[in-house]
Amino acid sequence: MNSYIKEYFDYKTLLSGLALVCIGLTSIYSATLDVNSAANFYRQGLWSMVGLIALMVAAFFPIKSLQRLSLPMYVASIGLLAAILVLGHTVNSSKSWFGIGGMGMQPSEIAKVTSVLALASYLSKPTVSISNVKHLIISIGIFVLPLLLILRQPDLGTAIVFFATLLPILYWAGASYFVLTAILVPILVAAGALFGIAQFLIAAAIGAGLLYATSKNKFAAAVAFGITLAIGLSVQIVFEHLEPYQQRRIATFLNPNADPTGAGYNVLQSKTAIGSGGFWGKGYLHGTQTQLKYIPEQWTDFIFCVTGEEFGFVGGCVVLFLFAFLLLHGLHIAGISKNKFGSIAAVGLISVIATHLIVNMGMDMGLMPVIGIPLPFLSYGGSALITNMAMLGLLMNFFAHRKEY
Amino acid sequence: MNAEEFGTPRRYFILRLAVLAIVGVLFVRLYMLQLFSYEEYAGESEKNSVRMITTDPVRGYIFDRNGKLIVDDGPSFTITVTQSEFHNYDIGGLATLLDLDPSTLQDRINRGVVNAHSRFTPVKVKRDIDFGTLSSIEEHLFELPGVSYDVESKRIYVGPARAAHLLGYCKEIGDAQLAKFGERYKLGDLIGFSGIEASYEQLLRGEKGKEFISVNAKGQVLGSFDNGKEDVPPREGFDLILSVDFDLQEFAESLMKPYKGAFVALDPNDGGVLAMVSSPDYDPSVFSGVTTADEWDKLNDNPDKPLFNRATMTLYPPGSTFKMVLAAAALQEGVIDKNWRITCPGGFRYGNRFFKCTHVHGSVNVVEAIEKSCNTFFYQLILKVGLDRWHEYAQKFGFGRKTYVDIDEEVAGLVPSSAYYDREYGKGHWTQGFVVNLGIGQGEIGVSPLQMALYAATLANGGVLYQPRIVHYVRNKATNRIEEVAHNSTDLGISPNVMALIREGMRRCVESPGGTGSLARIPGIVVGGKTGTAENPHGEDHAWFVGFAPFNHPKIAVACIVENAGYGGTKAAPICGQVMERYLLGKKSPTPEPPAVTASRMQNESGGPSQVTPNN
Repeated sequence: MNSYIKEYFDYKTLLSGLALVCIGLTSIYSATLDVNSAANFYRQGLWSMVGLIALMVAAFFPIKSLQRLSLPMYVASIGLLAAILVLGHTVNSSKSWFGIGGMGMQPSEIAKVTSVLALASYLSKPTVSISNVKHLIISIGIFVLPLLLILRQPDLGTAIVFFATLLPILYWAGASYFVLTAILVPILVAAGALFGIAQFLIAAAIGAGLLYATSKNKFAAAVAFGITLAIGLSVQIVFEHLEPYQQRRIATFLNPNADPTGAGYNVLQSKTAIGSGGFWGKGYLHGTQTQLKYIPEQWTDFIFCVTGEEFGFVGGCVVLFLFAFLLLHGLHIAGISKNKFGSIAAVGLISVIATHLIVNMGMDMGLMPVIGIPLPFLSYGGSALITNMAMLGLLMNFFAHRKEY
Repeated sequence: MNAEEFGTPRRYFILRLAVLAIVGVLFVRLYMLQLFSYEEYAGESEKNSVRMITTDPVRGYIFDRNGKLIVDDGPSFTITVTQSEFHNYDIGGLATLLDLDPSTLQDRINRGVVNAHSRFTPVKVKRDIDFGTLSSIEEHLFELPGVSYDVESKRIYVGPARAAHLLGYCKEIGDAQLAKFGERYKLGDLIGFSGIEASYEQLLRGEKGKEFISVNAKGQVLGSFDNGKEDVPPREGFDLILSVDFDLQEFAESLMKPYKGAFVALDPNDGGVLAMVSSPDYDPSVFSGVTTADEWDKLNDNPDKPLFNRATMTLYPPGSTFKMVLAAAALQEGVIDKNWRITCPGGFRYGNRFFKCTHVHGSVNVVEAIEKSCNTFFYQLILKVGLDRWHEYAQKFGFGRKTYVDIDEEVAGLVPSSAYYDREYGKGHWTQGFVVNLGIGQGEIGVSPLQMALYAATLANGGVLYQPRIVHYVRNKATNRIEEVAHNSTDLGISPNVMALIREGMRRCVESPGGTGSLARIPGIVVGGKTGTAENPHGEDHAWFVGFAPFNHPKIAVACIVENAGYGGTKAAPICGQVMERYLLGKKSPTPEPPAVTASRMQNESGGPSQVTPNN
């Protein structure tokens, strides 16, 4: 029995994930510790129970059916994303919610998982080859379609997650370095263009070098570079059309000290909260920054401040260790799995988690611009928590079926 | 370029490296913040931290058409409790000082804390306390940590006119509105509930400011952050300049005081509301501070409904005052001409029913029929004109639909058409007998006094229907300009000859020796008008009068209804006559100062004054 469990039950993923959920609940309780308003804590607790059910379903769902169902699920989630642009609620100037009774649902959370599964399913077909240009374009299209719908909401953060998940999946599936470079370089050059003309030129030069170095077909390299330049030049125009809050956020990112009371205020307070935690932290429920409510809605995107302030460097390291363990173990599943679908999907799922991790914690610690995406398992929010726990279940599923071709 | 590249150890290694790099970067950053720069951040957290508080704007003032201040702001003291500093054992003592139930006080503190998501934000627990209470609290302030007071503003109604229904009132925001407006309002904030206080809420209210203050780790205020350089001052609410003449309003209120009913006076040349009275009324200052449950119940349970705006929300049958609608339809459509006559034998037999007239009028044409209010003439005329053509003209004159005056309390009223009767009774289940009574404005028809005043104004100015407005100008505090409130007007396209005949009938109704409206006469000024009686199945009939003066170049148009006063000529006509006289001859008022710019009526989220074309 014991060896059976070891063989088929991925307790490592389960335990590291659940530990993160518990730390999240603890921190949410502290952040919303007010008369009556522990309601957020209880609600998140309830959602984690729902998440546990989602985890179990995902873990024990027959993998062949999962692979077959990935296309219908993907189509359904695209439908939801399209519907939300028409019917959704507007929360924080972004249209990303469906109201069901008193509850809100974010289809973009679900779309992350269904897109990963759909792309993994497509790429694992024996007839599909990543080196075939048509198949490659379809693969990219599977991700670009939801990405564009999400950008329309507009939800920049989630769109970034989609992009950052696509590259590792293609990489793992065997895409050539030239293909990856041709996808990545335009983004780099565009980012350079945001900083200024000099940065734009440097990025363009590096991009040209990379494209040249990775390509075997010099004509393809030239075409890719031409497209890159066009994208970089149009970024300035696109920037003008961004939402004002997004422009402000980019400006604040480039120079956080310029605006200590606006968007920069949160980052300043967040850094102060984490920094003042020190080695051992100020003690649970004794974080002055947290308890004084310096950071608005701290229980969502800035939840790590609570952990950092009240549990200090020790607590922060525990969180980082658990994430590192979960991600490396997930990658391990991808590495040992003989099931191509499970392997590629596992890389997709850990890419989603890793992107959230670096963007969210980077924001809390002033490394990244203020892009509103939650910290997986810790941030308050039902759709995200349930989806993340379902992702744990999927990783467990891929582990259990790692030996099946 | 080859599929065998899938999942190679080399790629596994690179991905592993990427994960480690991400975690590594975050680890190094964590180390830098929490260990390397700990001193710096700990110091910042310990000694000074910035907190943002919001500051309330001053609500806009309200002036009348002569620039007289009629609604002012005055100080009001509000007791606040900051829960993090407050000792719960003080709750009994504080409750006694404030004359509150301890559980009520506790409940208010809890609700405020939940609303602000913070125990460190002061919660408003009792608004508008009197000086006695304030001084006794001040004496005990040192024993009551966490208790403080805010100076807020409250509405002061300068008077002497009350204009309660027109101005409306402000009240503490309720839970439903709080949920609807989100972060723009806080618990304890005031919001306009009716009248122009509600419809111009977003303009009157202004915008909250932001103040950044330094506080220590215990949340105690150390002072202004960065010398207030980052502060955003509140933007004051915009002032409103009304078209209402407050002196006239007071005079009309005093005349209406003995009666139940409503009076509306309009400027026929632009649709501006000169006065609007609904009687009985109430003192708006009842709501300006804290309204006790007692006071509220007294107003709300009063069977005469003083809170209800009779001028815009009550529907009465218009009675004979409606005869001009039918005359206009008949003349304009060419159904009759000015020489068409009938003989009135004292009534009209239709089928097996006999419809009575007031007198035996003998032979009458249209002008005489209006002058003498001959029912027989109009019983016959509506059958000739037809229900639907009559309905069309009633709609043209603004009946059966909202006038879109700039307060939200308004009903559309009812003017039946054949479609309406088909719907109510079924096709073929109603007869022309239903229609005959409509000819004299009785039966299934309901109009508001405001609609009637608008009708009088349209007759006065020769056929232009204005969207009435109470607020004429807005003083924009952001640009410091005076902007005109836009409104619509529609030319009804009724020929001047037709209007002249109808107006002549109205002139004779007041000015000729036997006219029913003779009590509305003004010495030295020619008046046009029409009396009416609204049949009331529940008691004594209601009395109507509509009119305008001076006859040739009207400056004021009026409508008045006095409930249960019986015949229209005796009660309503003299009130209208006196108000018009006061306006034209009494304390004559100059026209308001001309606007610097013309701006469209500002739209806002609260569904403020809507811009609607009345007739298309």
